[in-house]
Amino acid sequence: MSVISVRDLTKTYKVGEHSIHALRSISLEVDPGEFVAVIGPSGSGKSTLMHILGCLDQPTSGQYFLDGKDVSHLSDDQISLVRNKQIGFVFQGFNLLTRTSALENVELPLLYGASNISASERKNRAMAALTAVGLESRADHHSNQLSGGQQQRVAIARALLNSPSILLADEPTGNLDSKTSVEVMEIFQSLQRERGITIVLITHEMDVAKYGSRIISFKDGNIVSDTANESRRHASGELEDLAGEDETERVA
Amino acid sequence: MGPPLPTTWLIALRSLRRNKLQTILTMLGMTIGVATVLTMMALGSGAQKAIQDQVKAAGMNMLVVTAGNYQARREKPPDDAIEMGALRTPDMTGRPHLQLAAFHPEDDPFAIHDHPVARQRLGDSEAGLGAAATLTIPDADAIRKISGVQYVCGGVHMNVHVVNGDTRWFTRIHGDDSSLPNIRRSWVFQHGEFFSEREERKNEQVIVLGTIAAAKLFGAANPVGKTVTVWKQPFKVVGVVTSSSWMVNPAEGDDQFDAVYIPVTTLQHLLNLSKLNDITITTQSTGDVTRVANIVTNLLRQRHHIGADNPDDFTVASQAAKALASGGLRPDVAVAVTGNVDGMEKVTLDQLGKTLDKSSRTMSALLASIATVSLIVGGIGIMNIMLLSVTERTREIGIRRAVGARAHEVLLQFILESVTLSVSGGLFGILVGVIVAIAISKSVQWSTSISTMAVLLSFGVSAAIGIFFGYYPARAASRVAPLTSLRFE
Repeated sequence: MSVISVRDLTKTYKVGEHSIHALRSISLEVDPGEFVAVIGPSGSGKSTLMHILGCLDQPTSGQYFLDGKDVSHLSDDQISLVRNKQIGFVFQGFNLLTRTSALENVELPLLYGASNISASERKNRAMAALTAVGLESRADHHSNQLSGGQQQRVAIARALLNSPSILLADEPTGNLDSKTSVEVMEIFQSLQRERGITIVLITHEMDVAKYGSRIISFKDGNIVSDTANESRRHASGELEDLAGEDETERVA
Repeated sequence: MGPPLPTTWLIALRSLRRNKLQTILTMLGMTIGVATVLTMMALGSGAQKAIQDQVKAAGMNMLVVTAGNYQARREKPPDDAIEMGALRTPDMTGRPHLQLAAFHPEDDPFAIHDHPVARQRLGDSEAGLGAAATLTIPDADAIRKISGVQYVCGGVHMNVHVVNGDTRWFTRIHGDDSSLPNIRRSWVFQHGEFFSEREERKNEQVIVLGTIAAAKLFGAANPVGKTVTVWKQPFKVVGVVTSSSWMVNPAEGDDQFDAVYIPVTTLQHLLNLSKLNDITITTQSTGDVTRVANIVTNLLRQRHHIGADNPDDFTVASQAAKALASGGLRPDVAVAVTGNVDGMEKVTLDQLGKTLDKSSRTMSALLASIATVSLIVGGIGIMNIMLLSVTERTREIGIRRAVGARAHEVLLQFILESVTLSVSGGLFGILVGVIVAIAISKSVQWSTSISTMAVLLSFGVSAAIGIFFGYYPARAASRVAPLTSLRFE
């Protein structure tokens, strides 16, 4: 069964008297464990799709089944619960709480969703998630004391805390340099490989999209192509190469 | 299924911690507001209490029972009564001449007198009245048992020479009960203290000097522990008393401070007396004086076996009319009282008490309303900050919504933040208010009084302000759509 099943999804914005068709009758199936990269220029509707997939926005028409359940017409409280339990977000701007430690940022989803979790267990789970992204030593650092890559890893740890059905990443490397971008992609690929997590990655760069196992191209609110990625990039190998280059530079 | 309150509370506290300066400044507004309210209320009720105390100090709750009855209506004199001072012409010569009394006993019922005998002069029922000594210590003890009576003090008063070495001073001596300082509320002791109940019980020869008498006998020196001589008997000085009231200034020749005090028992023992000149009574409440006066009258008539047709052999007088008439009240208060009541002589104690209470309550209300304004300003400060932070924190709200915060959890978080601000600000305000009130009464000598009621009220009001002024911003926060907030950069 598909994790994500979208049928005839339409989203229309009204700006003054004009209607903007952000999505024109999209249908899409994503299977568990897929790493889908959605690519397209700005205004192509890929971000709108991500907002609807992330239950941050509701479609004008059409249906959206998440884990087989129709979530396109739920109440605000129910949708909040879906976001809390089933969806993990990673944003371009990291979206961490400022002046708040990495640990408390990661804990955040556990404070909501009526989850009665003791303070110590909350801390343990947050710590475990931070360890998984290699930031256990930075748990007490405030977000502004962390580098961009570290902040994005904190955001990933937060997104994974409730073991969501899907991980939605909106331009996760947009604010990062190329090496850090590869590091973040390495985390995504290992999450897919080792934990079988379904990932939907939104990007406008083909380079980044190539880390996915499947690439969907958007233009003017329509899907123009949806293909398996034949020439997939592997971040772990690239990281080794980068490390090798560093050494070569040092030798030279 | 609501959010667990402790968790939301934790979220709220973490948010406040993130903006320490803002939190502190907002709390400060609340602190100042509550502190002002509390200080004002303390000053207001302090003034009210001060006025009540002054009323009591002026003797409004005081009754004095004096032995004898100068005011008793004279009975019809006997038929053979002779007007005193009238010239008689017993020798029929027609020439008036003054009677020269030769000594002969009046108690021979058969003797024929050429002058008016006591019976003819006064009438039987009036004989022995006036300056008679009819009150006793057991009378005072019986009065003490009446309900509503606060303190009772029996006294004997006369004039003496007090001697300290070569210095002599002719002054008043009061034989009094050890409870006298409780009745004379305006008294303070410059040195030492009043004689104790034990010293009174044991007829000890101890003496308290009024400040004028002390100055005349000892100059500026502290006389406590020294010995003075009265009636050739040594008395140990245990205290010097003066006035703390603006209404009474010690002056030479007055009855309170140009005077000395010894235990009434000692005086009776030394002079072999058994009667009292007067009994001073205070009542617990000012409005109770009339009732207690009636009970005292009936009790004493009963104790003195006075028949229904006979007049009292004592006089019960309250001090209120006296205080009003003699200017014992501060002029402005007296003017207020007399101006507000038709016919000063008709002023009852109840009316007087009510008038004073009313004016001081008006003042309290005025102070409280001024303070309330500052409390509201504090509340609006909180609302302002909360509203501002909703705009400022749109992104934060969006993040919370994205990770699954429900709208009412955001609402609750913001309300808890504002309640925490106002309540902790309020608690600090209570602390500051209490300190300020104490500081005011210590430094400027204004009386303040902080009631538990005022503290609870301040706390309740600050919590209510937090909820009231926090609700609107919180609702605005909870209505932030998860998506718009994430786009907000």
